[in-house]
Amino acid sequence: MAQIFPKWTNQVPRKILIGLIVTANVIILGIWYFFSPKYTDVGYAPTQPVPYSHKVHVDKLGLDCQYCHTSVFESKQANIPPTQTCMNCHSQVLTDSEKLEPIRESWETGKAVEWVRVHNLADYAYFNHAAHVNVGVGCESCHGRIDKMEVVYQTEPLSMSWCLDCHREPEKYLRPVEEVTTMGYEVEDQILLGSELVKKNNVSPPQYCQGCHY
Amino acid sequence: MSEVTQNTYWKSLNELAQNKEYQNFVEREFPENATELTDGVSRKGFLRVMGASIALAGFAACRRPVQKILPYSRQPENVVPGVPLFYATSMPFQGSLTGLIVENHEGRPTKVEGNDLHPGSWGNTNAYHQATMLEMYDPDRSTSPLRNGDKASTNDFVVFAQEYFADRNKRVAFISEANSSPTFQALKEGALRKFNNASWVTYEPFGEDNSIEGNRIAFGSRLRTHYDYTNADIVVSLDDDFLAATHPNNVEYAKQVTGRRKVTSTSDGMNRIYSVENGFTLTGSFADHRLRVKASEVEAFANALAGALSSRINGLNTFSGVNNQFTGSDFLTAMADDLASNAGRTAVSIGLSHSANAHAVVAAINVALDNVGSTVNYLEVPSFDNQNNKQAFADLVTEMKAGNVDAVVMIGTNPSLTAPADLDFASALGNVEETIHFGTYRDESSKGASWHISRSHFLESWGDGYSFGGARSVIQPQIQPLHDSLSELEFLNAIVYEERVSGYELVQNTFKGYYSSNFENRWKDILHDGIDIRDGYSRANVRLRSVSPAQTSSVDGLEIVIRPDASVYDGRFANLGWLQELPDPMTKITWDNVALMSPATAAQLGVENEDLVNIAVNGTPVEIAAWIQPGHADDSITLHVGYGRQGIGRVADVDSDTSQLFDKTVTAGGVNVYPLRRTAGMLFTSGSISKASGTYSISCVQDHHSLEGRDMYRQASLSYYKEHPEYASFKSVHKYAVPGMKEAAEMGEDQPISLFNEQTYPESEPQWGMAIDLNSCFGCGVCVIACQSENNIPVIGKREVGRGREMHWIRNDRYYVGDENEPQAVHQPVPCMHCELAPCEQVCPVAATTHSPDGMNQMTYNRCIGTRYCANNCPFKVRRFNFFNYPKEYLTTGEDPDIIQMAMNPEVTVRFRGVMEKCTYCVQRVNRAKISAKIETGSPKPAEGTVVTACQQACPADAIYFGDLTDENSEVSKIKRNERNYLMLEELNVRPRTSYVAKLTNPNPALVDETKMEPAH
Repeated sequence: MAQIFPKWTNQVPRKILIGLIVTANVIILGIWYFFSPKYTDVGYAPTQPVPYSHKVHVDKLGLDCQYCHTSVFESKQANIPPTQTCMNCHSQVLTDSEKLEPIRESWETGKAVEWVRVHNLADYAYFNHAAHVNVGVGCESCHGRIDKMEVVYQTEPLSMSWCLDCHREPEKYLRPVEEVTTMGYEVEDQILLGSELVKKNNVSPPQYCQGCHY
Repeated sequence: MSEVTQNTYWKSLNELAQNKEYQNFVEREFPENATELTDGVSRKGFLRVMGASIALAGFAACRRPVQKILPYSRQPENVVPGVPLFYATSMPFQGSLTGLIVENHEGRPTKVEGNDLHPGSWGNTNAYHQATMLEMYDPDRSTSPLRNGDKASTNDFVVFAQEYFADRNKRVAFISEANSSPTFQALKEGALRKFNNASWVTYEPFGEDNSIEGNRIAFGSRLRTHYDYTNADIVVSLDDDFLAATHPNNVEYAKQVTGRRKVTSTSDGMNRIYSVENGFTLTGSFADHRLRVKASEVEAFANALAGALSSRINGLNTFSGVNNQFTGSDFLTAMADDLASNAGRTAVSIGLSHSANAHAVVAAINVALDNVGSTVNYLEVPSFDNQNNKQAFADLVTEMKAGNVDAVVMIGTNPSLTAPADLDFASALGNVEETIHFGTYRDESSKGASWHISRSHFLESWGDGYSFGGARSVIQPQIQPLHDSLSELEFLNAIVYEERVSGYELVQNTFKGYYSSNFENRWKDILHDGIDIRDGYSRANVRLRSVSPAQTSSVDGLEIVIRPDASVYDGRFANLGWLQELPDPMTKITWDNVALMSPATAAQLGVENEDLVNIAVNGTPVEIAAWIQPGHADDSITLHVGYGRQGIGRVADVDSDTSQLFDKTVTAGGVNVYPLRRTAGMLFTSGSISKASGTYSISCVQDHHSLEGRDMYRQASLSYYKEHPEYASFKSVHKYAVPGMKEAAEMGEDQPISLFNEQTYPESEPQWGMAIDLNSCFGCGVCVIACQSENNIPVIGKREVGRGREMHWIRNDRYYVGDENEPQAVHQPVPCMHCELAPCEQVCPVAATTHSPDGMNQMTYNRCIGTRYCANNCPFKVRRFNFFNYPKEYLTTGEDPDIIQMAMNPEVTVRFRGVMEKCTYCVQRVNRAKISAKIETGSPKPAEGTVVTACQQACPADAIYFGDLTDENSEVSKIKRNERNYLMLEELNVRPRTSYVAKLTNPNPALVDETKMEPAH
C-alpha cells in the first residue's frame, strides 16, 4: 500500500515547533524592544508653537541653561521660562519675526504660550531637579546635547532601569556642581573624579521604592 | 490587679455582649459584601458626589497623551514653579477668627494649617478648618447670583442696590451671622444710620446669646466669657463641650486643657476635669469624672453646685437655700470640696445653649471662686449688639408676618432651615417685598428669595476680625474668586454705600484708621504674620450683681435634646464629603444623624440600633433611626441637626436620585430635626417617642477593623502611676515578659528572635518613628481630615463605608471601659505602625510593600496587583484597599470636575482601583525635607522639627510626635524613653515604629477608692 503521507511530512512537526519557538521569540523580543521607552519615547520631538532653537541660543549665542530655566537649583521643576524672559531680548531683537508672533501675543494678552512637554515622566514617579543638579548631575546627562538641537527631542528613555543605572553607580556620571550646565563636559578619568565627588558631596542616591514613588 | 479580660475595652454593645452579630462581623476580614463586586453600576451615580471624564485617556500600550506646559506670561515675584508658598489668613466661624497658614501651589491653595503665631490656633486646627478647603472647591457651591431664580450677575445686584436702597425710608431688616470684623461693624453702623427704619439681628442658631445675656444679668453688661485653662487645676464643664469643633474656640481650649496633662515623669501633675452632661461628648470622654444627667437637669446642678459652694466660700449667699435632687450627692460634694480648696485655679463653664440665668449662676460661681483674672476673663466685644438677639429675632419675624418689613437681607445665615419651627420663618419671608439672601450655597433661605447673591469663600476674599479671645487678624485671599461672587463686606457696602468697592480697599481703610503712620510696613507685617494685636478685646472690670438661682425647667419624663452635629454643625458643612464621612467622634456613625438614647431607655422602648422611632414635639413628628449610646442619660434623647437636606448639593441631599443608586435601606443623609426645635425649647424640650415599624441602615464604623479585644489600650490613675511607673509595660499588663525575650537574652540579643529577616539600616539615614500620647488625645478626629486633605484620600459614600471599605489612613478608635450605663470612653488614633518586621511585607507576592532604609514600610502603588494578602496579614488592620476607582469618580464626574481636582495635593499620587494604600508617614513631606536638608546642609538627616506629618501638625492636643529616632534629643526619642511608652501587640515581635504613651486619669480620691484604683488594660 502506498503511503498516505510522503516522507518529508515527518519533518513537519519539528518545523512547526521550531517555527513557533522562533515566532514566540520574535514576539517577545519585539515587545521587549518596540514597547520599551527606548523605542517609544526616545527621539520624541513634538512641534512646538514657536520653533525655538536651543542650537542658536545656546551654541551660537552662548546663553547658560539657567538664563531661562531659573528654578532648576531650587525647585523640583526646571521651569519653562515665562514669556517675559523671551521679551527681555525680543522686545529689541527680531521684533517683527513671524515665528515669534505667539510670544508677542502672549506678552500682550497675558495668556500662556502652550509648549508641548517633551520629557514626560510617569505620573507615579516623583522627580526633583534640585536634588540632582545640586549634587552634580549634569543637564546633558539626562537631556543630551541640547546645545546641538534645533528641535528638542528626548535622548534618553527615562525608564526606571535607566534611572537606576545612575542611582546604583553615580560615580560614572557625576561632575562638579559648577560644571552642571556645561555641554560636552568630558574628563580624563570619570570614575576617579566621580568617586571623589560621591565622597565629597556625601551622595547616596535612593534605591528604595519611596525614594521616587509615593 | 484584675485579669486581662476580653471585655475590659469594648467598642460596641454587640462586642460587650459577644453576641452572634459581633462574631459574624469580626470573623470576616471585611464585612459581608465588602469583598464582592455585587453592583458595579449603581455605585457610580452616587460617587458623582464630587464632581465626569478628564483626559485620563492614556491606555497602557498607546502612545502617551500630549501634555502641555503653560508658563506664566509675566511670572509673579517670589513664585518659583514647583515650590509651594505659604500665606497667612484666618477662618471666620461663629463670629470668631482662627489664624491659618495656607499652602499654595502656583496660586492654588491645597492645604490648611494652623498659624503658630495666632492665639486662636497656636499652629493647630480642627476638622472644620481642614475641610474648608473642600468647601471652596465644592462644585455645588453657588456659582452666580440669582434674581427670582434666574441667573444674574453681581453687577446686576449692585445696579439693583443703587436703585432700591436709595430710598432711605425702606424698612430694611438685616439678619446676619455673628461677625467680629471691625470693617463689617462699621458697615453695619452705616446701614443703621442710612435707613430710618432699619433693624439688625445677629442670628446664630447655636450662638452665644445666652452666655452674653447671662453676663448681663451677672455683671450688668454684655460680655463674652473667655477661659484660660492654662491656669486651671480643676475644670468643671456643665454640659459644655468646649473640646468639640462645634465650640467657636475649641482649638485654643483643647490646647490649654491638654497642655495641663503632659506628664513626662512621676513628679508631674495634671489638671482634673469634671463633666456633667446628658449625651456622651468629647469633653465628657476626656473628663476624669463624668456625671450623666438629663440636659434639663444641668441648670439644677449648677444651682446645687452654687448652693454647696455657699457653705464653703464667700459670695454665694443667695444660693444657700438651694435644695434639689443633687444637693448632698457624693459627686456634688466632692466637686464642691475640690473647687473650694483650689479656689483661684479652677474654671467652671456651662454649655452655650443653656439659659441665660444658668450662665449668670456660673458667672457667680467663678467670681466667688476668685477665678476672674486667672482662669476666666470677661471680654468687651465691640461687635456684640446691644439687644437680646433671640428676642429681637422673634420680634422681627412677627413684624415680617405683619407686613411691616420691606426688605430682608440675610447675610450668611440660613434661617429658613435653622429658625425655631414655631416662628415659621419661611412663610414670614413670603410677606416681604424684597428678600435678599447672601450665602455660600443655594439653600433653603435662597429658595423663593427675590435675590440670591453668591458669597465668596473666605479663601477668596479680604476680611478682618477678632479671635474668640480678641486677637485681631486679617483674612487674606489665597486665590481670585472662582465664581461671580461677593464677600460680605463688598455685599454690604453695595447696599449701604450703593457702589462696588473691593474688599481689599475696605479692609485697608479700617487698618489705616489703626495705623495712621507707617501703615505700609505695618500692613505687610500683619499680612505676613497673620496676626495684628493679641489683646483687641479689653478685659472688663466686672462687679457681680446679686444673682439668684436659675429657674429650672426640668422636663418630667422624656426630654428631647437638640444639638449641633460634630460633622455638619448647623447644616452649613452638609455638602462636604470629608466631614460627612468623618465618623462622629463618639458614635462613629458616618453620613447620618440618629436618635441617641441610653441602653435603659432603649430597653424600655424595645428598640435596638437602626430601629426607626417616631419622635414628636408639640405634635410635630419626625421618624428617625434609634442608636444606643452607652453612658447617655436615661429618659433623654439627643438629636443632631444639619441632616436631611434637599436641593443643596450632591453630597448633602437625601433624595439625590436614590432609587437608582441605593437599596431603599441605605439612602444617605439622615433626617432634618429642626422642625422639632422651638423657641421655648432651643436645647431641650419635652416630647414623646414611640417605636415605628421598620429599620434604617446606618453606616457605623465602630466595629470595623476591630482588634477583637486584644491588648491595645493601657491606662492608670496618676497616683497609681506615681507608685508604679512601669504600669504600662508589657510585663505589668500581662504578668510575663515579652515572649522570646528570655531566649534572646541568652543569645545576647536585645530583641526576640524573628522568623523574618532583620532589617539593616545604614548609619547615614534618619530613622523615622512616631509616638501618640493617649493622655492628650481627646478624639476629635482632625487628624483623619488633615490626612485626607494631605494625601488625596477619596470620599467613598455611605454604602461603601457600611461595607467596611472606608479609606481613612488613620482611624480613631473609641473604646468604652466598664459598665454600659456608666462607661468611661477613651480614644486611640491608629495609623500604619511601620513595623520593622512588617508582616505585610512577608506576604506580598510582588514586593509592592517593602522596607526603606529610613525605616518606613513603603507602599508602591504601581507594583501592587491587589491581592490584599497584606491587609489580611496586618495585625493592626490599617491597610485600605481601593475596591473601585474612587478618585476617578470623585474627581472626574459632575459639571465642572476641574474645580474639585484643584483640591488635590500635587505631591501625592492619586491612586487607581485595585491598589492597596495606607499611612506613609507623609513620605512626601519627609522627602521634601530630606532634599532640602541635603541641598542646604549636605546632611542626609533633616533637622528636628523640619518634618511634620499632617496629622501631627493639625492636632490641637499635640498628641502626635514624629521625628528621627537616631537623634537622641528629638521630641519623639524623648517621649519614647518615657516609662509609659508601649507598643501595641508587642508580643508579636513585629516592632512597630509607632508607639503609644499610656493614658493617665486624675480622679478625685473622694470619689474613688484609691486602693481599688487599678489600671485598666
